[in-house]
Amino acid sequence: MHETLTRGAGLALTAVYAGFIGWMLSAQPQTIAQAVGGVSASVGAYSVDAQSFDDGLVFFRNDQFVEARAAFARADPAVRDARTQFYIAYSYYRQGWYRSHRDDALYREGVIVVDRAIALAPGGRLIVDDDNLGMRSADELKAELEAGLTRQLSDFNPLRWLESRK
Amino acid sequence: MSALREAIVLPLVFLSVVLAASLRPGAQVTVVPPSLGSLVAGMVLFALLVRSGAIDPHRLLHPDRSALANLNGLTVLLTAFVASAQMITMLVPESGVPALIAWVVLISLLSQALAMGPDRSSLLRGLMVTFGAAFALKFIVLATLSSPAEGRMARALQLLFEGVTLGGVTQRTPHTAEGYLAFLTIVTYLIGVAFLPSAAWHMARIGPGAHAEVRLRRVERGSAGHPTESDTDTKA
Repeated sequence: MHETLTRGAGLALTAVYAGFIGWMLSAQPQTIAQAVGGVSASVGAYSVDAQSFDDGLVFFRNDQFVEARAAFARADPAVRDARTQFYIAYSYYRQGWYRSHRDDALYREGVIVVDRAIALAPGGRLIVDDDNLGMRSADELKAELEAGLTRQLSDFNPLRWLESRK
Repeated sequence: MSALREAIVLPLVFLSVVLAASLRPGAQVTVVPPSLGSLVAGMVLFALLVRSGAIDPHRLLHPDRSALANLNGLTVLLTAFVASAQMITMLVPESGVPALIAWVVLISLLSQALAMGPDRSSLLRGLMVTFGAAFALKFIVLATLSSPAEGRMARALQLLFEGVTLGGVTQRTPHTAEGYLAFLTIVTYLIGVAFLPSAAWHMARIGPGAHAEVRLRRVERGSAGHPTESDTDTKA
């Protein structure tokens, strides 16, 4: 009986450990926080730091995008929360938006983050209910960021200067 | 072999080797899976372990054992194989001429060992030397050559060396912790291999000539389960 218990426990332990290694190989966490957050998210125990998220939101609405991203990163250290990642991507959009042109480097970062947000959202559908935002879905944000990265004839249309930031 | 060792200790030791050998610490930690080449080399290494008697699959998988015990045995075999493959991924340089040379030398050493048919203790000693040499090459020699030089003279020499070798020798500079982690991984792997259930037989060497005396070493299991050896002389 004791031996059967030991063997069963060993098998279960090995399966859990092997599963953890498999998850590490596929998810590629880059920090301890990401690894711990990923494991806790897989058992439904992960949550963002509400205080840091609110701080980030205040910075975001004041157009302090670098500070906002720092606060959002603090709120979601494991990079597991779709809504927080959406705001980070949005901060790249707003910071890189100029009336005359778009900042390609910031937009590229934005595309990476919005892709991550979409991947984290259940079913890939992410809608953020915030009246302050001109775009409330991750799909709109992604399209806008990608449009900013492409070069087309309409970029030279002077009427474009009349567009407003979303 | 006790159920605890077979079901818990050995799989966890080898899985720890897999995890530690796949980690690349640094500002951004990466987790590297075993390469395809190392899977093949790992298979050869595993075959060597079986052939030398370092691991006896019959003591882990056998119709007389229960299904659960056989599952534990299979787990030990699988984890030992993956750990062997991951060890090779960890020890072989990542790119350039050093990677090519290391692969050629490693394959040659494994093939040579297969041809020689070493016994368990010889194989363990050989593995220790091979892994030690690979460790020294990657984490001491190549790491020193690839790390940023401090003085002007050293920088000039490094530039000259890179020019002569067309940049084919320098590697990614490993994080300080990586070498220590690799060393610990090698030691853990070798301890794990030493604790594997070994075969109850030894390789016998036959001397030349028709009347050569063949000395067979028969290993018998004592009452406590520990192997005891008795020598039997026979005439060929």
